[in-house]
Amino acid sequence: MGSRLIVGAPHEADNLLETSLREAFELLESQLNPPFSLKCRNESEYFDINKAIIYGILCEPRMGNVHIKHLHGIVMIVDELYEKLVDSVRVQLIWITLEMIDVSAIGFQGLLVALLRQIVGGDFSDKNLWLCSELVRVFLAKWDCLLEEEPLVLTSALYAFLRLLAHHCRLIDFCVRLLREQFRLCMMIGRDLVRLLQELVHVPEFRSIWKDLMLSPSEFKVPEFRDISQLYRVRTSSRYFLLRITPVMESQLRFLLSDVKFGNHRRYQVWFAKKFLGIAEKETLLIDIVRFICCSHHPPNEIILSDIIPRWAVIGWLLKCCRKNYVEASVKLALFYDWLFFDEKVDNVMNIEPAFLLMVNSMSRYIEMTHTLLDFLLLVVNNYDTERREIIVHGVQSSFDVLVRRGVIQSLDVLISSDKLFPFLKERIVKLLSERKVTSLENFQAGSFRGSTSLPDLPAAVGMEPGTFQHEMSASASQNDVELGPPTNVTSCSPLAENDDIHEQSLESLVQNLGKHIRSSKQMGVQALDKILHLYVNLSSKAETTNFSISLDQLSSIIAKEFRYSGNQLFD
Amino acid sequence: MVSLKDIAPAAQNNINTRFILLDKGRIMLESQQKTCIALVADETASVHFQFWGEECEAFEPGDIIRLTNGIFSYNRSNSFVLRAGKRGKAEKVGEFTMVFVETPNMSEIRWVPDPNNSKNYVKEAVLSSHSRLFPPMV
Repeated sequence: MGSRLIVGAPHEADNLLETSLREAFELLESQLNPPFSLKCRNESEYFDINKAIIYGILCEPRMGNVHIKHLHGIVMIVDELYEKLVDSVRVQLIWITLEMIDVSAIGFQGLLVALLRQIVGGDFSDKNLWLCSELVRVFLAKWDCLLEEEPLVLTSALYAFLRLLAHHCRLIDFCVRLLREQFRLCMMIGRDLVRLLQELVHVPEFRSIWKDLMLSPSEFKVPEFRDISQLYRVRTSSRYFLLRITPVMESQLRFLLSDVKFGNHRRYQVWFAKKFLGIAEKETLLIDIVRFICCSHHPPNEIILSDIIPRWAVIGWLLKCCRKNYVEASVKLALFYDWLFFDEKVDNVMNIEPAFLLMVNSMSRYIEMTHTLLDFLLLVVNNYDTERREIIVHGVQSSFDVLVRRGVIQSLDVLISSDKLFPFLKERIVKLLSERKVTSLENFQAGSFRGSTSLPDLPAAVGMEPGTFQHEMSASASQNDVELGPPTNVTSCSPLAENDDIHEQSLESLVQNLGKHIRSSKQMGVQALDKILHLYVNLSSKAETTNFSISLDQLSSIIAKEFRYSGNQLFD
Repeated sequence: MVSLKDIAPAAQNNINTRFILLDKGRIMLESQQKTCIALVADETASVHFQFWGEECEAFEPGDIIRLTNGIFSYNRSNSFVLRAGKRGKAEKVGEFTMVFVETPNMSEIRWVPDPNNSKNYVKEAVLSSHSRLFPPMV
């Protein structure tokens, strides 16, 4: 007889959990007529009756009213069987959830979290959209009750829904309401709330929330919240990252990182990618997976010292799975996010270790990986939040510092003294590390910031194609600000205009001769490139007032072409 | 449950084991019946497995399979394969979470009848350390 609970595939063995539930139900069915007593049962009897109730409620809707309050076992159904559940059973599950919230049943928040984890990011199937909209209906319907009984489960929903929002617009109401009405609660999520919100600025409702976050924190009516840097300082608890990883995905990732030997991992990677990353829309999952690996999976020492595939290698592979540039940028941001605000008092070196080891271990054979990561880190330092750059400089300096002190690496020389590293990257990283150390983050208390007049254009900076010339340009631009003093606020001043002509002449000749330089030696090519970039940035900062004859696009395509002709695939 | 490294050819349906499906070949027709050769492995060894009929489509690489009453013997192309046979059963019991080795491959061993007991087969030589049909993925 086929199961009334789950749909089995041909040649699939009986599911042990399903069998034990069905057997418990068959055994105890006659006793499940209310009212029945829960007294004088030992642990195994109690467990059996729990299983019988679960099976009865899900498969026999007439049983629905029986002792819902005692249904803690239901979470395991969701974790282990949800994917296979018969449709009508899924409907019953949502109904049970509502009932359990009504009676404040033991562990109902665990059930809500388990259901949230079953929503698959980037999956547009009817079943997935259905679960999503049913859950948002549950959260909105039980808003007051949840706020009173289990407010933290609302932040879990917020985290999950914010990640899904790009695809499921019906979630907006819930998220906006929670952010606007209960910001104090939302702050519990910590810095990743900022990361999630910034990916949503293209949604008008969130653009205004973002704007208030940056410019008018008082709008959120939490008196002690005075500046976004207060969120930066709160490390996000690892349980939030689990919310966007289904239990099956979690068990496969943990298996890969705990049991599979380095060198024997290829087939597992192929299977994982086929199952979870098969379609382009699911690519955004990579961001959540990287965050999960950095922050929620910290292997013990015996694994770290064994021949099991390390976290950095898995992340290197995940980066290679990125097909869209904006996803790749978000994955890199996920990888470096704790670097930016690192504070030894609250942060864990294990969260920042994978990015560092990926850079160092790629140097011998995959130096382009080291280049693109280091380049990204430098870009983010200068552009992530220009108003609070010092916080980020401090975070990144502390990260490098703690990685050395905790023995992840003996000395940074491995990274910055290598001949393989592009000289201009080396220069910039050395400069960053030697920037004046900020003694205390207290200096960054709200109020000490200059008032900002424009909305920081954070998503634009991060959304830029990583490792391309746009990156290089903006990174160098900020670097120039440091090197050459304050940016020249050019007005219509004629002597400067003359200077510009001279510069542009030489810029053009440099560009024309770039190919020749590259072919004569790699070193010369890189030097010429460096010079072009510097000149271009100087000129472009004044471009608004002058007639600037080479566009960024033209320039970058010329440079890329010249390098390609000489057999160098530049960055990408 | 027997480990794959301990199986030897025999004319009996008595192999109970568990393995992970690594790779599948093309589905062919053999006397009007679909069939397909695959590479399967456990933590001790790998072996070629022959799927029959609807088994060919029911399993995918990464599936963990429980074999009950299977048989390890010659197939028609004169090589040793493991299969469920008419009396045995192959069932999916999981996915992904099983470690494996690809060497030795029990189908890449030359088996000869035991001189002391003609019912048994013994190893004569290793033909290849890994499957030659499904080379390791590097």
